[in-house]
Amino acid sequence: MATTTTAVLETTIPADGAEQPLLKVDGLSVTFFTPTGAVHAVRDASFQIKRGEVVGLVGESGCGKSTMAYAIMGYLPGEPEVGGAVYLDGQDMAELGPAELRALRGNRIAMVYQDPALALNPTMKLGPQIEEVIREHLDLDAAQVTERATDLIESVGLPDPERIAQSYPHQLSGGQQQRIVIAMALACDPDLLLMDEPTTGLDVTTEATILDLVADLKGRVNAGILYVSHNLGVVARIADRVVVMYAGQTVEEAPVRDLFKDPRHPYTVGLLSCVPKPVVDTGAVTRLQSIQGSVFPSAQSDPGMCLFADRCPMATDRCTSEAPHPASVSDSHESRCFYPDDVSTDLWDESVEREAPHENGKEPTLTVKGLHRVYGKWQRKYLFFGPKVKPPVRAVENVDFEVGAGRTVGIVGESGSGKSTVARSIVGLVPRDRGDLELRGEDLPAEADERNPDQKASLRMVFQNPTSSLNPKLPVRHNILRPLQKFTDMTASEREERACELLESVGLDASYMDRQPLQLSGGQQQRVALAAAFAGDPELIVADEPVSALDVSVQAQVLNLLEDHQREKGTSYVFISHDLGVVRYVSDEIVVLYAGHVAESGPAGDVLSTPSHPYTEALLSAAPVPDPDAIPTPIRLGGSVPKQHEQFKGCFFASRCPRKIGNICDNTPPPVQTSPGSPTHEVHCHIPLEELARLQSSPVASNA
Amino acid sequence: MAAPTTSPRMQLGPLDAATSVAMALLRALASLVRLALRTPAGRIGLPLVVLHVVLALFGQALAPYPPTEFHIEEHQLEGPSLQFLLGTDQFGRDVLSRVMSGATSLISVAAAGALLGIVLGTVVGMSSGYKGGRTDEVVMRVMDALMSFPSLLIALLVLTSLGPNPINIAGTIGIVFIAPVARVMRSSTLAIKSLEFVDAARLRGEPNIYIIFREILPNTLPVLAVEASVRFSYSILLVASLGFLGLGVQPPSSDWGLMISESRIYIVVAPWVALAPGVAVASLVIGVNLLADGIKQARELPKREA
Repeated sequence: MATTTTAVLETTIPADGAEQPLLKVDGLSVTFFTPTGAVHAVRDASFQIKRGEVVGLVGESGCGKSTMAYAIMGYLPGEPEVGGAVYLDGQDMAELGPAELRALRGNRIAMVYQDPALALNPTMKLGPQIEEVIREHLDLDAAQVTERATDLIESVGLPDPERIAQSYPHQLSGGQQQRIVIAMALACDPDLLLMDEPTTGLDVTTEATILDLVADLKGRVNAGILYVSHNLGVVARIADRVVVMYAGQTVEEAPVRDLFKDPRHPYTVGLLSCVPKPVVDTGAVTRLQSIQGSVFPSAQSDPGMCLFADRCPMATDRCTSEAPHPASVSDSHESRCFYPDDVSTDLWDESVEREAPHENGKEPTLTVKGLHRVYGKWQRKYLFFGPKVKPPVRAVENVDFEVGAGRTVGIVGESGSGKSTVARSIVGLVPRDRGDLELRGEDLPAEADERNPDQKASLRMVFQNPTSSLNPKLPVRHNILRPLQKFTDMTASEREERACELLESVGLDASYMDRQPLQLSGGQQQRVALAAAFAGDPELIVADEPVSALDVSVQAQVLNLLEDHQREKGTSYVFISHDLGVVRYVSDEIVVLYAGHVAESGPAGDVLSTPSHPYTEALLSAAPVPDPDAIPTPIRLGGSVPKQHEQFKGCFFASRCPRKIGNICDNTPPPVQTSPGSPTHEVHCHIPLEELARLQSSPVASNA
Repeated sequence: MAAPTTSPRMQLGPLDAATSVAMALLRALASLVRLALRTPAGRIGLPLVVLHVVLALFGQALAPYPPTEFHIEEHQLEGPSLQFLLGTDQFGRDVLSRVMSGATSLISVAAAGALLGIVLGTVVGMSSGYKGGRTDEVVMRVMDALMSFPSLLIALLVLTSLGPNPINIAGTIGIVFIAPVARVMRSSTLAIKSLEFVDAARLRGEPNIYIIFREILPNTLPVLAVEASVRFSYSILLVASLGFLGLGVQPPSSDWGLMISESRIYIVVAPWVALAPGVAVASLVIGVNLLADGIKQARELPKREA
């Protein structure tokens, strides 16, 4: 490696510096040694970042994206074995001592972490936290430091920087916290900014504003940015070039447009076909694709073959006997595949058409009428006396909808909009305060414990996080046999047989019965959870963000399983998600929730096309689209969902509405308008529908 | 279709639930031993504990002399020799034999007391934590009140009024240990009950008892194992202290605490008589603590995900 370094150092001498990449990662590999054996987190990664460029790094979880980011920082835990080299401006990072590395971090390389709540010190005010970074690296006097901190806060688009500097992290919303983390990263004008999934924990609306900020930074600071994300839509929006990683290897590298329009590696094509396409009308759509199997395990050493061969639809004998190397496909486009020219965008697309939308059932399976739930009680001004001033937190107010037999109702909204409360009220985990729930016209008690076994069997729930919804100490069989035992009068051997059938129906064989949940991948766990939900033939399944915790490559498996089951058994679903693409893909009807109120509801096609409620419009506008040519949409929501302490006098959305028309929004609750063409499509807004349609069909918004 | 495998774990009646809990405990024990052997502390602690368990089970049989055999005329307060490896006491009894046979009563009473405390504390703590709300508040305040008395004081009080016999001692220790165990088990129950599999069990219509002991308990086993070992070592100290104060096993049977108490007047002329049981108690307590520490450390060994 030493010879390479000197060679590179010599080439740095030309003064123009145009040829010199800011960051060069050359054949990087990182191996950790754990008590259970070696873990090859990064195997062979090579790419470059130039100044002023945003490079997106994408891949499933377990592909080594984050390890790569930490390796570039020279900040790996434990004592891993690092091969290859990382050059910053031609300087081999491996040659730097600990003190030099420390000076480099924060000063020349800065990092933005995934969870801003963990990256900020909760006991320190934000101003001093930023000042600490500046003092550590720059030689400024106290007044200058404070001034610079204020400037930084302002430069990341936060209003009233003096007040923010005096706040503690918990007083800001997640989006604002992430802006502060970005400000800290920018404190010393770094040359290289590493962003590790900076928007993953945020709402789409907040994500959109953070992405705008990153795009804006690109023009403002002369730094290279490495943007790590699992979300192709996000990368399409901001990256100039994209690097795709698989099992610790960089498998494709190309300018963003080439990568999305003309991918040259089957894995990239696979990732792209897993994302639900934006569908405007409700016409026939092709089924979602998934990449079968899971990522080549990092515990296994290099087998001397293409690591993707096991999951690749076009793998040949050559792929399993020889390891491919990155090769140029065209100018600035590299692919680690033997047959880059055979890769086509419909590689994974079997173009199985989905069956036509289901006929509307005559009788609704579930009717939700005036659902209402608050948390807490009125609190007095002083601990035990004084006027009652603090109202309880209102989670859900007056939510009405119906779920037809064999149909899917999607519920969307930001976090804090009351989606989960609706789900948990329906199944009875959170008893409702007021309102009616009817299952097949029969009243449902508020608490799950008060419901009769038949009602319990008819109403099942699938949770967001499969790892915590399956008991980690009990085998898979427990999770499937137990509901069968509770809900059916089968004998032990019948149950056993049925459990195997259920497992097979979710694509797992009987050998999974005795596995422990922790031995399964996230997608497999969620499929076991589905099998458990299907046991007892429920009439309605409430799915609370069932694919949010899963990689995009396995999302489709779960969504398709739900769909198949619905077609076979006529089960109805209430499907909750923050991801509009997914909701659009699965739902027949959509309910848009905001601050516990229904903003808009109706058939999926009608809700997602114009005219729609300004909130729906903003959500659509914020949703990232995996297409670099998508015209950026202008509507952004600032702030976050109100904490609902205040009683809404007028429209619940008035405080953030980009189309607010005046006092009427603040003072009068919005009327319910129905479109003339579709009587079930309801919009809760003061603006007449014709006016909304006109506003939203302006050329800029039409792409939303 | 593949022949369905029937395993004893699949029928989950209340009785089978009990056997499966027992199986889970056994499996946990095996994995704990494996864990213990991964750290130096565990590698020292485990043999010490095993040695004492062997003494407790077979000490009396292995001892060279009967523990109560007097050699008053010829060997009173004699130093260690080949004949009497650890010397003799004021009645000329062999100290080694007395130490070896004393293990049984101490360890069995201490273990019974600790076990009782663990079981009762687990039931109280987990039920209270799972139930939550006002019930939890009341139960935990009662536990706080119980904890505010020094455990030796409660034990003295009970034993002086009920009389010292092994059952009373074990029972007293059990009651004294309810509060600390309940506290630990409650906090780990609180953490686990917020996980979604508990919601899933509620939606299946499982009774609370099932949820607490079948769904939550297995997940608290690591905490429970550490707590059990800590309680065991405290329990040993308590039994030994009670013996020293004369409220343990009554003479002439050999009890380590009692032996120290009886021999302390001769400590200047014959230190071995007090030293031997002292070392025995100390090595047992140290062994149990090292073992617990070892298991805890092994659990925290770095397990990095890629």
